[in-house]
Amino acid sequence: MEILNDLFAWFADPAQWTGSSGIPARMGEHVYYSLLGLLWSAAIAIPLGLLTGHTGVGGFLTASLANLARALPTIGVLFLIVLAAGIGLVPVLCALVALAVPPILVNTHEGVRGVEPRLRDAAFGMGMRGHQVLLRLELPVAVPLILLGARTAAVQVVATATIAAYVGVGGLGRYIVDGQARQDLTMMLAGSLLVVLLAVLTTLLFAGLRRLLVAPGLRAEAAAVR
Amino acid sequence: MITFEGAAKLYPDGTVAVDDLNLTVETGQTTVFVGPSGSGKTTSLRMVNRMVEPTRGTVLIDGEDVRRRDPAALRRSIGYVIQQAGLFPHRTVRDNIATVPLLLGWGRARARARATELMELVGLEPSQARRYPHQLSGGQQQRVGVARALAADPPVLLMDEPFSAVDPVVRAGLQDELLRLQQELRKTIVFVTHDIDEAVRLGDRIAVFRPGGRLAQYDSPERLLAEPCDAFVESFVGYDRGVRRLSFFPARELSLREDVVFEDATGADRAAEALRGENEPWALVVSADRLPLGWAAAAQLDRAPAGTALGALDLAPYGHTFDVATDSLRAALDAAVLSPAGRAVGVDTDGRVVGVVSQEDLGTALWSVTT
Repeated sequence: MEILNDLFAWFADPAQWTGSSGIPARMGEHVYYSLLGLLWSAAIAIPLGLLTGHTGVGGFLTASLANLARALPTIGVLFLIVLAAGIGLVPVLCALVALAVPPILVNTHEGVRGVEPRLRDAAFGMGMRGHQVLLRLELPVAVPLILLGARTAAVQVVATATIAAYVGVGGLGRYIVDGQARQDLTMMLAGSLLVVLLAVLTTLLFAGLRRLLVAPGLRAEAAAVR
Repeated sequence: MITFEGAAKLYPDGTVAVDDLNLTVETGQTTVFVGPSGSGKTTSLRMVNRMVEPTRGTVLIDGEDVRRRDPAALRRSIGYVIQQAGLFPHRTVRDNIATVPLLLGWGRARARARATELMELVGLEPSQARRYPHQLSGGQQQRVGVARALAADPPVLLMDEPFSAVDPVVRAGLQDELLRLQQELRKTIVFVTHDIDEAVRLGDRIAVFRPGGRLAQYDSPERLLAEPCDAFVESFVGYDRGVRRLSFFPARELSLREDVVFEDATGADRAAEALRGENEPWALVVSADRLPLGWAAAAQLDRAPAGTALGALDLAPYGHTFDVATDSLRAALDAAVLSPAGRAVGVDTDGRVVGVVSQEDLGTALWSVTT
């Protein structure tokens, strides 16, 4: 019970809420890194997945690379790039991108592959060109699956962006790293709680995106798949 | 006019999908490609819009080799209907129908107006415009599929087993609708099916394909049923082709008997006397405005107490009737076979009795028209 009281006191301390090492600032850094990592990942994974899905070329390669990337230890990637490029934002982003690309890439590829052959046949048969089939049929039909992949990636990225603290660029990870160094359990717990809160908010954000981006005609079908 | 000149499709593994097809599809007619699976009918159809490229030979539309046209531009000028419609699940009914007009750059407002027009043409409610495909029944989806194919008013329509995935009742409705549309629009339709009944019903001309992708016979439905060219076509057309062929002979040429039709107010004794004179076993009883009521047997009339009116007797049901003006001999024969009296009741378009025909008289008539 004492730990709860300590936690409460920690959050109630006005000093935690101001300055460059206060909760709002750390939260801001964390969200910024996560968002940047996710956007870069999407910018790489979605076009690539659309291409491999549409052409059917490189599907095996994509899946293999994605699985390989999944096996990479994130911390390892982080320090490897720190060694190569030095301290800063770049190694953090690289580590997050390596983490987030696989789920988005695989889901985009599978989403496009999963479009029923007769729909593709109808699209070509009506006189659509390749890029029109991709943009007017395959992409919209794949959106629910792409979003699912992006959500998985986003939650992982938010949880993993704590590593930014290891290379001295802040984020909510600071509370965990500093807490560990100072043997301050309350601080570590408070930092973890804030990360969990952010992850929950991310899930909610994706629920909202789903309503916004998935065509109403697909929602019933996608619900059945989930 | 669509012409196949020595068109063939061979696959690298040695499979022959279509083997040297020579055939002309007439403008404004419905030509049905029919055959068992693996007979190359769908492959042949897909050569027309270049969804399949022939290995040898050419396909020409109005004299122009389709391979000289850009595939996408060619396909936009040809309506395409496939099995289970293939509607885009993320688009509303109206936007599905507007697909080709939008590809042709018509602009959204004009394309949507056209889509609304087509919904009416194929018998869809305007309220369904904003629905999504998964909210429609199979039959409605297929209507949308037909509307989508017609949207840019193409002169040629390719239909690849469009009605095979719906139940028989819905299919019959869709077939009627297609016949009605074709009356009105006079498109050049190539229709693929494995169902010979559907082929006979819809086709002006029928091409029967045999396994191995060879054309077995190309004829009018009537001639196909009368003179199948070999054992394969005969077995494919079916053992009851003789009966089905009767669909092509109108019932109006039958001579119907009126002397065994009596109003319900007539006395039973008078009817009995008339039947004895003609040596007829059954009398048809009708109401004052000549709607059919039922059959009375001669023996029943003889037993009836004096002064009984026909309407007071316990009559046998008259079964179903045939329309003298519009039905075929097949419908008349069917009505006669199903009637308890072995006689078919011919009616006019208002359902009033014109006369009756017995199985024996029908037999004589069939003999005279089909030989």
